[in-house]
Amino acid sequence: MRAYLLKRIVQGIITVWFIASATFVAMHNVPGDPLMDEKATTEEIRKNLMQKYGLDKSLFEQYIIYLKNMSQGDFGISFTQQNRQVNDIIREHFPVSAALGILAITFAAFGGILWGALTALYRNRLPDIVIMFLVILGVSVPSFVFAALGQLSIVSVNNLVGFSLIPVAGWGTIWHMLVPSMVLGMSTMAYLTRLMRSSMLEVVNTDYIRTAKSKGLPATQIFLQHQLRNAVLPVITVLGPAIAAITTGGFVVEMVFAIPGLGRYFVEAVQQLDYTVIMGTTVFYGAFLVFMVIIVDVIYGFIDPRVRVG
Amino acid sequence: MKPDAPSDALLQVEDLHVEFDTYGGIVQAVRGVSFDVHPGKTLAIVGESGCGKSVTVQSIMGLIPMPPGRITRGSASLKGINILNNTFINGVDIRGNEIGMIFQDPMTSLNPTMTIGKQIGETLTVHRGYTQKQAYARAIELLDMTRIPEASKRASQYPFEFSGGMLQRAMIAVALACEPSILIADEPTTALDVTIQAQILDLMKDLQSETNMSIILITHDLGVVARMADDVLVMYAGQVVESGSAAQIFYDSAHPYTLGLKTAMPSNTNEQVQKLTPIEGSPPDLFAPPLGCAYAARCPHVMQVCRSQPIKQSFTLADGHQSACWLHHAQCESTTPGLFKKQSGGQT
Repeated sequence: MRAYLLKRIVQGIITVWFIASATFVAMHNVPGDPLMDEKATTEEIRKNLMQKYGLDKSLFEQYIIYLKNMSQGDFGISFTQQNRQVNDIIREHFPVSAALGILAITFAAFGGILWGALTALYRNRLPDIVIMFLVILGVSVPSFVFAALGQLSIVSVNNLVGFSLIPVAGWGTIWHMLVPSMVLGMSTMAYLTRLMRSSMLEVVNTDYIRTAKSKGLPATQIFLQHQLRNAVLPVITVLGPAIAAITTGGFVVEMVFAIPGLGRYFVEAVQQLDYTVIMGTTVFYGAFLVFMVIIVDVIYGFIDPRVRVG
Repeated sequence: MKPDAPSDALLQVEDLHVEFDTYGGIVQAVRGVSFDVHPGKTLAIVGESGCGKSVTVQSIMGLIPMPPGRITRGSASLKGINILNNTFINGVDIRGNEIGMIFQDPMTSLNPTMTIGKQIGETLTVHRGYTQKQAYARAIELLDMTRIPEASKRASQYPFEFSGGMLQRAMIAVALACEPSILIADEPTTALDVTIQAQILDLMKDLQSETNMSIILITHDLGVVARMADDVLVMYAGQVVESGSAAQIFYDSAHPYTLGLKTAMPSNTNEQVQKLTPIEGSPPDLFAPPLGCAYAARCPHVMQVCRSQPIKQSFTLADGHQSACWLHHAQCESTTPGLFKKQSGGQT
């Protein structure tokens, strides 16, 4: 297990380095530069700014400097937001995105496993048909539609009770997080429901479930200890990429609900070619996702003994 | 159907009928099977694939999924108590407690994410009220009993760390955990190689003599039957065609199907170097079983009556030896006189 973990961490570091390099190359190949707008009015000012931010050096030199600073955890200063450290931006806004993402993924995972198990138990009966219809909606309707619908229903609920029970937008309390995280986790939950359903149906026909029945075990024990644990394995496998989808895909939901998350800064930075912010947020997101995938692998090892020992 | 049922029978199955609803129609998988299992004895059920062997024992165990399965007629009683369709009253106690079962493929028959020890102990916690700790300790003893070396270490391992033969031993330990009176072995050695086969069969025999349990052994291997069985039931197309003691079935075979199976089996005697004789054709479609004898289409001794008259009765040929074939009828004149015995003491 330790050797396995070490291997995964080394792989992760290489992945992050690759992400950083690819972003760097892509970023510098986009036409224009961060000083194109009204700030650099004269050639002289432009030159000074270039010098200040190190943009007059060769691309390779810049790359080396970036990597060196990055390995020390320093992402530099934002080009467009005066005197603001990229590290500060991340430190300030990532916890917001992370809280939202964690809530969303929890919602998606538990919901997906629960609904999936339920549809398998009621296979081809009414609950199955209704849930599977909703799942198709959940997979195919984009999140901004759900976000708008979510706000609309919040307004309706607030009108009904007569006061502002759930805030429509903004950030601060658990009430602010509730609806955005549901919206954010919706498509993942729908996907996990489908996966869980097929996995449950596969497991129920296996020989070891027949053995469990022949042992005369109570149905709940067969369901919980023999069926569920084996059926949940494929769901956990996709949880890593699902976390990726949720945390990086959060910016639409953040926009609609006016949540001060990192996603908004990321998008704005790309629009304004804010080199340091782009690099910082991309590499940070990359490292975060690699970390989450490793975490999922470790969890997987706990549930499936074949991975742990093999 | 049956002769006077001996009162010492542990398990009595009478006129069992099982059907399955499928997209193609209703499959009549078992069509009137009766047999007795006696304490401490081994009953072998033989027959080719799809003849209803497994369905018969699975319906006794309540393992038939309903729907699509359905027991339409018949009864099965263990120690005089009806156990068919009775899973909620007695079923929980019978499965795993009174009857243990092992299956064909040990590689897939155990839960891959649970330790062997826990899987063995589970029945003890459920049926005997053991604590987890007691059950685990007993599981180690059971593994030891099935001759798995280093049982205490093995109990903490997972199925993927075991070989096929070891897994089947572990399965036997699972099945015997609650000291059942009957062990049902559904083709227990089919997935194993020959040397392991012999070890598993020896183990089953030894454990039988230690615990005096009965064994219902399902197989299509006549060699296994000869090695293990006290009584034999030959099944064809969901029906019993011949039943009797192992000696009667092997040395005094009466039904043409049993004779066919015997000639299709390789022999190692020197003079018999001729080719094996297969049984031509294939079993009938159980969506619409033939009107007469199910074996008529493949039988070398087929008569006119075989195709038109359903053979609803067995003929008793000797004490405990029965065969369901018109050739045993008193009025029948066979083309090969002397090959087929006539019934003794009238039809039953």
